[in-house]
Amino acid sequence: MSLFFLTLGFGLVTASVLSLLSVGLSLQFGVTNFVNFAYGSYLSAGMLFTWTFSAKLHFPFILAAACGVILTAILALIVNEVVFEPFAKRRKSIFYMLIVTFGLSLLLDSILQIFYGVGFEKFPIKQSTAIKIGPFDFTGVQLLIILVAVVSMVVIHLLLTRTSLGKKMRAMSDNPDLAKISGIDTKSVTRATWAISGALAGLGGVVLALNTVYFETTTGDSLLFVIFAAVILGGIGQTYGAMLGALVIGVVTEVSAVWVSSAYKTDVAFLILVVMLLVRPQGIIASQGKA
Amino acid sequence: MDIILGYVTTILVFFFTYNIFTLGLNIQFGYTGILNFTVITFMAIGGYVAGVLAMPKAAAGSGIYYILGLNLPWPIAALGGVLAAGLLGYLIGQIALKRLRSDYLAIVTLATGTLLYGLIGNGTSIFDGWQGLFNVPQPFAGFRTWTPLGYSIFFTIMTGVLFVLLWLFANRIYKSPLGRVMRAVRDDQDVVEAFGKNTFKVRMTAMVIGSMYVGIGGVLTIAYITALSPAGWTTGETFVVWAALLVGGRGNNFGAIVGSFLVAVVFNEATRYLPQIPAHPNLIPDIRYVLIGLAVILSVYFRPQGMFPEKKNTFLEVPLGDSSKAIEEHLAGGLSKVGEQ
Repeated sequence: MSLFFLTLGFGLVTASVLSLLSVGLSLQFGVTNFVNFAYGSYLSAGMLFTWTFSAKLHFPFILAAACGVILTAILALIVNEVVFEPFAKRRKSIFYMLIVTFGLSLLLDSILQIFYGVGFEKFPIKQSTAIKIGPFDFTGVQLLIILVAVVSMVVIHLLLTRTSLGKKMRAMSDNPDLAKISGIDTKSVTRATWAISGALAGLGGVVLALNTVYFETTTGDSLLFVIFAAVILGGIGQTYGAMLGALVIGVVTEVSAVWVSSAYKTDVAFLILVVMLLVRPQGIIASQGKA
Repeated sequence: MDIILGYVTTILVFFFTYNIFTLGLNIQFGYTGILNFTVITFMAIGGYVAGVLAMPKAAAGSGIYYILGLNLPWPIAALGGVLAAGLLGYLIGQIALKRLRSDYLAIVTLATGTLLYGLIGNGTSIFDGWQGLFNVPQPFAGFRTWTPLGYSIFFTIMTGVLFVLLWLFANRIYKSPLGRVMRAVRDDQDVVEAFGKNTFKVRMTAMVIGSMYVGIGGVLTIAYITALSPAGWTTGETFVVWAALLVGGRGNNFGAIVGSFLVAVVFNEATRYLPQIPAHPNLIPDIRYVLIGLAVILSVYFRPQGMFPEKKNTFLEVPLGDSSKAIEEHLAGGLSKVGEQ
């Protein structure tokens, strides 16, 4: 039983990391209507930028993380301006957008690898000691991760429901053409979405690196399809679905370690993805016309 | 002279196998619009399965582990490899080709690729993990006593003949009624469905045939190199095939050949001779991938149809009134065209 609670605690931490990442991917998919296969590179960029600020420039860790997140958001914005915007202008078919994001992931990964090289990095922070909360054992870092995720989810919720930008994003997600002729500046909403998506990818990358301790340039790509599994499970393009999907995938993959070796964690995520696609491909919360 | 000849044969084998990969992807993406983001995994599965079928049982205590080891004659082993690749394509198709947007298939292919890469790499007992298989028996090796060069030349000719046959077959599919339906599915699936065609079956056929093509390329690769490890089939390799197809021209098998030549042979070989920088051993491969990624993005932006675009069918338009003249003209001038389509 203690093993169950231990893994459940890990599951909640993994779910927190995944929730940031899958909401970032899902928000962007909802607004722009194509899957970003380069998302894993944004994630790696977030953790590596933070590493530069913290290990090389000796910033305090929180400040370094903030700089890393902002830089990742800027990266996402630049990529949108330079690559996606011109393609969107030409109204390229979804086939080509997917190929372009796929090509972009190779491009960004290789560029990151040129600057950071191969091999594992680690943030220069102390490992914290365990704190007992009810039946769970959490380290201080893990509690911080959960806190960051919960606060971010509340902020995203408020953004989507209370602000004009959030309403515009939801309008574009429902029907981009209708949103455009209703006078919404779709271009600037798209830009804002990419910035938020990039920031969430960066933040998710930083907390992922905090959780796994060691990371390298390909860490993001190896996690990419777990993020996809969470997003598809919740219903692609559905922000709250993505949160739910992240919770399910995070908890199930970690708790599965009670029965199968934890080396097969990602395989469990893949299994959930496959079952979901066979049984209910539209996801738990289905969106019209997107499956 | 022998060294040059040996080099040329290696390049040619490389060129032919990449062509076969590109033809496979062309049948999937160019003909039918299926986004397969893990082309190279099919190559690996084909190669690995052919390898373990042909190899003898792993010697106990040698520290090398792999499944099967049936010591079968190579034609059966090769067939097994190709069928394994086709089966993988079938399974992926079963998951993702039914009533789903193309993004889902792309996600499932990529996920399967990542998963198999991890499973095969970490699962030492399947195909000997990160070390990979080596000493794979070569076809016709015991047929006569070969000099190394003689065997290379023989293998090149064999691969070339196989490539030509596969090329002809791919062209045959293109012209066949099946090929027409494939292209129709690519252009508008709903219309084809409205005409009563089973689009799932058509897409599945393309998926399996394409996977088997890539599998054949994989069998040839492992038979020529006699070894295969996960380092040889990273996601980057899938890009090389995609770049070859997109630069050459999707839907056009001639474009696929030119693309394979330019990307896989000229580009890959040319960057191989850039001076190595000792402090950064990965710099050159990284730059190569940056350029290939750029080539994909730029060619989709500026020339999505590729260097050799697919030929569009021309149809006879009969004007109102006296139509006999127009028909005669079309028959006189159009006969040669009909043959090409």
